[in-house]
Amino acid sequence: MLRRLFIGCAGVALAAGLAAAQPSVRVEPATLQGPRALAEQTANSVIQDYLQSWRSLSVALDQNNPELLDADFTGDAKSKLAETIREQAALGMSTHYQDLTHDVQIVFYSPEGLSLELTDMVQYEVQLFDHGKPEPKQQVRARYVVMLTPAQVRWRVRVFQALPGD
Amino acid sequence: MRLLAFFASGLALGVAPLAFAQSGNLTLPKAVEAGAAFSIATAGSGKATLYIAGLGQVVKRQVDLGQTVNFPVGTLYSAGRYVVVLQGDQEPESGEFDVVPAKGVAELSFLARPSRLPVGLHDAITGAVYVFDAYKNLMVAPTPVSFELSGPSGAAQKRTVVTRFGAAWTEFDSTARQGADKFVANAGAASTRRVISQVPGDPCGLTMTAKRDGKQVELQTAPIRDCSGNPVPDGEVVTFTASFGDDQSTADVPIKGGIAKIDMPIQDGALISVASGVVMGNQIRWEK
Amino acid sequence: MKNGILLAAALIIATVVLIVIGTVKPIPSAEHFAGEQNLLPSSSTPEAAVRNLGDEISLGHWARAYDSLANKTQFSEDEFIHDLTGYYANLRTDATLNSFEVRPLHATENDAEMRLTLHWATVLGPSESTRDLHVTRVGDHWAPEWPLDKRPAVPPQVIPVNYLRWDVIYPGPGDDWGVQGVEAPHVRIVDMRPVQRAEGVVILGELLNDDVVPAYVSVTATLQSKTGKALATEDSFDKISHVLLPKQVTPFLIDFPDATLSSVGSIRMSPFSTLVPASADPVIEIDNAHLNPAPDASLSGELMNESGQIVNVAHVLGTFYDKSGQVVWIGDEYIDRALLPQTPQAFLIHIPEDLARNVSSQRTVVSSFEYGGVL
Repeated sequence: MLRRLFIGCAGVALAAGLAAAQPSVRVEPATLQGPRALAEQTANSVIQDYLQSWRSLSVALDQNNPELLDADFTGDAKSKLAETIREQAALGMSTHYQDLTHDVQIVFYSPEGLSLELTDMVQYEVQLFDHGKPEPKQQVRARYVVMLTPAQVRWRVRVFQALPGD
Repeated sequence: MRLLAFFASGLALGVAPLAFAQSGNLTLPKAVEAGAAFSIATAGSGKATLYIAGLGQVVKRQVDLGQTVNFPVGTLYSAGRYVVVLQGDQEPESGEFDVVPAKGVAELSFLARPSRLPVGLHDAITGAVYVFDAYKNLMVAPTPVSFELSGPSGAAQKRTVVTRFGAAWTEFDSTARQGADKFVANAGAASTRRVISQVPGDPCGLTMTAKRDGKQVELQTAPIRDCSGNPVPDGEVVTFTASFGDDQSTADVPIKGGIAKIDMPIQDGALISVASGVVMGNQIRWEK
Repeated sequence: MKNGILLAAALIIATVVLIVIGTVKPIPSAEHFAGEQNLLPSSSTPEAAVRNLGDEISLGHWARAYDSLANKTQFSEDEFIHDLTGYYANLRTDATLNSFEVRPLHATENDAEMRLTLHWATVLGPSESTRDLHVTRVGDHWAPEWPLDKRPAVPPQVIPVNYLRWDVIYPGPGDDWGVQGVEAPHVRIVDMRPVQRAEGVVILGELLNDDVVPAYVSVTATLQSKTGKALATEDSFDKISHVLLPKQVTPFLIDFPDATLSSVGSIRMSPFSTLVPASADPVIEIDNAHLNPAPDASLSGELMNESGQIVNVAHVLGTFYDKSGQVVWIGDEYIDRALLPQTPQAFLIHIPEDLARNVSSQRTVVSSFEYGGVL
């Protein structure tokens, strides 16, 4: 009986762990304003690249390695995240971000096709480490506004900012 | 049974992370304007470490509990959500607050397209603007942006649009006159200007004349203009073709000084035609 | 150990002996390649005489080639060399003679007519030139006469040019998003047609520069299966005029070797254009373009450089249409001689025999290249 319960608990814990590694994602229908139509393929690749950017920032802030941002971030978003990593490294800190849920909606596609904006009600965990010593995890729920711009083979995050008050 | 309790508690930890008090010994501002001074009040006694961490900045301070910790102007300037952890001898305390963009638009990202287009096209010029504060934070609060497109003659098209999530866009017609138009976006004290070059359209009423010039025939177009009367710019290619039986002679001639001109050896009875791109001009049957 | 030393000493001595023998009494072939003596067989027949001339040209032995000519008193050695390689820089200047063929046309006891076809390897691929040589008996051997191509000399003169040119200031390094750039030239495909050939699928078409600025252009095509899967991607490579002035049209041909049209569901065409500095000169006129029927179907004509500058390399592209105006083939030829001002230069573009009967009209364009200048 105990053995069965042990196996059951381990299974649930594993499922919970996997669930933590793969956030649940909900995509709302786009509410676009503007003359440019958004192809389904474009929307899919934008969202895919955006979700990948969360994985990149999580590893970059965890390892204090700003080079890991290069593939998914550009412009001010990249500069700000890189600055955060430099500050962390100087203070002997690192941060572990784990996104849990996303509720994504594309809200703007600029007429010339050079930028696209989405909002994301995201739930994530933050855990600080000071010289390797973990601080308690904290769960955050915030609505982010994200602007992405097309690069050669993918979309890169150029603005990445939580909206106040949500 | 103890083992069961252990796994049950492990499961609970995995599903719902630890919940921490937001108040208690820590009093946080709800929101801080980017770049502004702010303070965090602590209660209790002894030493502790205060962490403020966001995706834009990280701050760490040693604090005396029971004191208010003051952060001077310019400490936090990157807008976003920040988590706060106070780690002392006792249970850690945590909370969160927002850094919001500073007041006043300082910078515009202005995407104006195209930089060059033919005259007389409807809604062909577009402009999209993102508004930023002095710290390059996107200003997400609705902000009016005025767009103005003015031609060399001074006539202007104007429109004001309120931003949504920091972005605004508009579109204008290209005018009937060629020239460099000024496309300006204004928001608050920030202003950005782009130049839109309006160029003539396809040639309209392309005609040529032919006259003997020694052993050759001089082919010359009339001054070439588009349908709005704008002179077609020098460099555009005009193709002259002379066909006689199965033989054909052609020349791609760039317009110079408003006309295209060339001397070609042309036989009597040849049919001469002129074209530019997909626009056909007149034809001449060359007779002595 | 001792044996090894002995062997090494023996090898060194043998090598020295062989070097001395080779230097004092070389074998004839080594002498020839060292430029010492003529190894070529005697010119005992007209064919052997022309073959020897071809060998000397391919080895670059200009003096020997010139000396072997029966009519060398009519022109200088320099004129002979320039007749083969060109006086002004051109495709032939740095070409090498890959091979040649000699074909007798006519022969009597004392003279003969021989056709010499020279196959040159140029930087833009093979180039062929043909000369018909008169060969005469001189004592116990035969000597060819070189048919020197005397080009008309243009009288020295000054040609005024209103020099029209476009320059481009490119963006500097760094992140230029949101900063105004200069629009890429607007180009559009005005005609496109896939054709099944024995060697694969060929896409023929025409591209127009619809803008007021010059464009560097290319066209990429992707064959897609009936399920939408990409089968192959190719571009127009050199079967296109890459620099287009405003309102200029170029044909393009894209080859898909080994592809079959029946397995293609759709074709995605991607024209590419970018701003490029360019000059509106020189203007090259195409005179007397004429479609020659099969056999040996071709388009022949003359190029006339209307400007005062020398065109080092000209690329002639012919677009061939059927009666309904549809493109049926695109052919090209690189002219391996510099185009001198006001001097006609013949061109010939071959048309595949099986398509020739469908061709009822043509359109020819020329792109020019100047060494040291822009494309």
